[in-house]
Amino acid sequence: MASTELLPERGLQKRPRAPHAGPIAGRLELLFELVRRDVKQRYRGSVLGVAWTLLNPLIFMLVYSLVFGKFLRVQYPGGSATVFILSGLLAWTFFSQALVMATNSIVANAALVRKVAFPWMLLTVSSVIAALVNYAISLLLLIPFMLLSHKGVGPPILAAPFLVLVTFALALGFGLMLAAGNVYLRDLTYLVNLGTLIWFYITPIIYPFTLVQSKFSGHGLEGELAHIVLYINPMTWVVLGFQDVLVFDRWPQHWHGLGYSFVFSMASIWLGLWVFRRLRRRFAEEV
Amino acid sequence: MAEPAVAINNVSKRFRVYHQRAGTLKQSLIDRRHSRFEEFWAVRDVNLEVAEGESIGIIGENGSGKSTLLKCVAGILVQDNGTITVRGRLASLLEVGAGFHPDFTGRENIYLNGAILGLPRRYITSILDTIVEFAELQQFIDNPVKTYSSGMFTRLGFAIAVNLDPDILLVDEVLAVGDEAFQRRCMERINALRAEGRTLIFVSHAMDSVRAVCDRCLWIEHGVVRDLGEVNAVTSAYVADVNRREEVEMGVSESSTIDDSPGRMGVRLTGVELSGPDGPTSVLNTGDPVSVSIAYEAPAPLLGARFTISFLRSDGAPILSVPTDDGETGLGALPRQGEVRLRLPGLPFLEGVYLITVDVTEITTGQHYKRLERVRRFRVHSAEHREVGMALLGHTWELPHVGAPAAGR
Repeated sequence: MASTELLPERGLQKRPRAPHAGPIAGRLELLFELVRRDVKQRYRGSVLGVAWTLLNPLIFMLVYSLVFGKFLRVQYPGGSATVFILSGLLAWTFFSQALVMATNSIVANAALVRKVAFPWMLLTVSSVIAALVNYAISLLLLIPFMLLSHKGVGPPILAAPFLVLVTFALALGFGLMLAAGNVYLRDLTYLVNLGTLIWFYITPIIYPFTLVQSKFSGHGLEGELAHIVLYINPMTWVVLGFQDVLVFDRWPQHWHGLGYSFVFSMASIWLGLWVFRRLRRRFAEEV
Repeated sequence: MAEPAVAINNVSKRFRVYHQRAGTLKQSLIDRRHSRFEEFWAVRDVNLEVAEGESIGIIGENGSGKSTLLKCVAGILVQDNGTITVRGRLASLLEVGAGFHPDFTGRENIYLNGAILGLPRRYITSILDTIVEFAELQQFIDNPVKTYSSGMFTRLGFAIAVNLDPDILLVDEVLAVGDEAFQRRCMERINALRAEGRTLIFVSHAMDSVRAVCDRCLWIEHGVVRDLGEVNAVTSAYVADVNRREEVEMGVSESSTIDDSPGRMGVRLTGVELSGPDGPTSVLNTGDPVSVSIAYEAPAPLLGARFTISFLRSDGAPILSVPTDDGETGLGALPRQGEVRLRLPGLPFLEGVYLITVDVTEITTGQHYKRLERVRRFRVHSAEHREVGMALLGHTWELPHVGAPAAGR
């Protein structure tokens, strides 16, 4: 029969199959692409580009060191207000930026989440990694100021990756919770902005930890409260660690606090994963 | 029997309909006691087994739950009850170009979209030229996607999607967008996948597309399965059901009143009725035997009267006027009261809405006894026909045959 020759027979045509990445490799590739997108997105279309990543903390640092160091005459240990403030400020900028970006990571990709099934969690993870990339760039800012104040770095710098890891883990854990929650409750976007502002002031970034210790020791309830807030804040110990490494060129002194921050950060990741997995069931319909 | 590629067991999906646009903290705190939303079942107790290599169509009205079911299979939505088992690599094509970033170039978006859909970067690099060529975007591939026309956007999205190469492909109304050439390419690609023994679940409103690519068909109505079976049987039943409901909406001719006031010489038209194969109707199919009957009354026998029935397009353009003439009524007399009937053995009109105008004139002078303009309105469906246009004309095709002596060689 003439007509049957024209019909392709099922299963007989063998065309090379398009390869698909395995579940792990595929996720890593996708994560890589998403990070690339998030980073590019930030630097595309702005004239100053990377300069903003440096300019922003630079200006804040100058303002803080002027107001606190010069006007209010706060005594910064280690002699240099600029390096002291910068060491904590850069880590904080990373943390708060990661939180803000993570909070919006699912909502901002609503079109994608509604139409394509893929591990949506990677959107949140990539936003935190993108903040980490910005952080790495912003670290360049430390170089001139450390040279200016004759600070060197020794072996204690090896503790820095661990400090970054804890910050990253904290941001990711909270970020996962916020990203998932924001799908259902859009107020979180605003609450996060407010929350990070308050959190900034209860972290010893622009004032020395020792100042609070000495000012509030023996001040009764008020002092107790200030201490408790400072002590339970996991970012306190991370920032102190950065100050130890960069300002004093010594190994982090508060190992107990840092251990607590590490455990806290791991717990937050565990909780973040749990919350995210519970809430993602209705993402596509609620986003 | 081999295990099915997709097994849907008792799947139900519930949606929330918010009374107000909720989702702010204030409301959720204030409205703690009142429920902010109602729930409804978008899909209810659906069962379906799709064998490997089989192609299933899902049809139903807008909001019937077809897309919801498909999204559950895709894993975008999670069903509230029941289980869905998928064997094999699954890809869903619910929207082409979903997740394109407007500020990124076409090239960047190919990598990003490819990664989202699960293609390795190295593989995308190797087929990049093919994708660009397929999308016909050679000159524009390094421009931001936001500068693309919607056609370019769609082409690029589809060019990436055709390279997915899944075991099971879910398609939702993708063919509804894009121009004819694009749609044809989509269909070609889908048929190629079918020919390779891939499994297909295809949601569409276009019955001819469903018939062209599917073996079986699932008809969903208000979230429940209305029918499941061989594709032609189910789609025909669906079309018949839609027609029936439309008929009710348009109003069957019997029920509607006409102007039966006396015209010149006291001639009155008391009824105009359009009938299909099953009696009076206002919804017909191309090829149906049709009759139009006109009931009249006059004070005296009508001498030399001519009845004319005209068919018009819905915009009023005349298509066909059929007068009674010498051969039929001649110049002879018609009784004082009676009915004239025009029969069309096969309605030649294709898909659309048409109007009927009726005239009664004096045959010698051409003077009107009575005229009823646009007295009837009817809809024609031609789902069974491939022809496009206004009317069906008799035709045959002659094609060359393989093996037959070729002419002119």
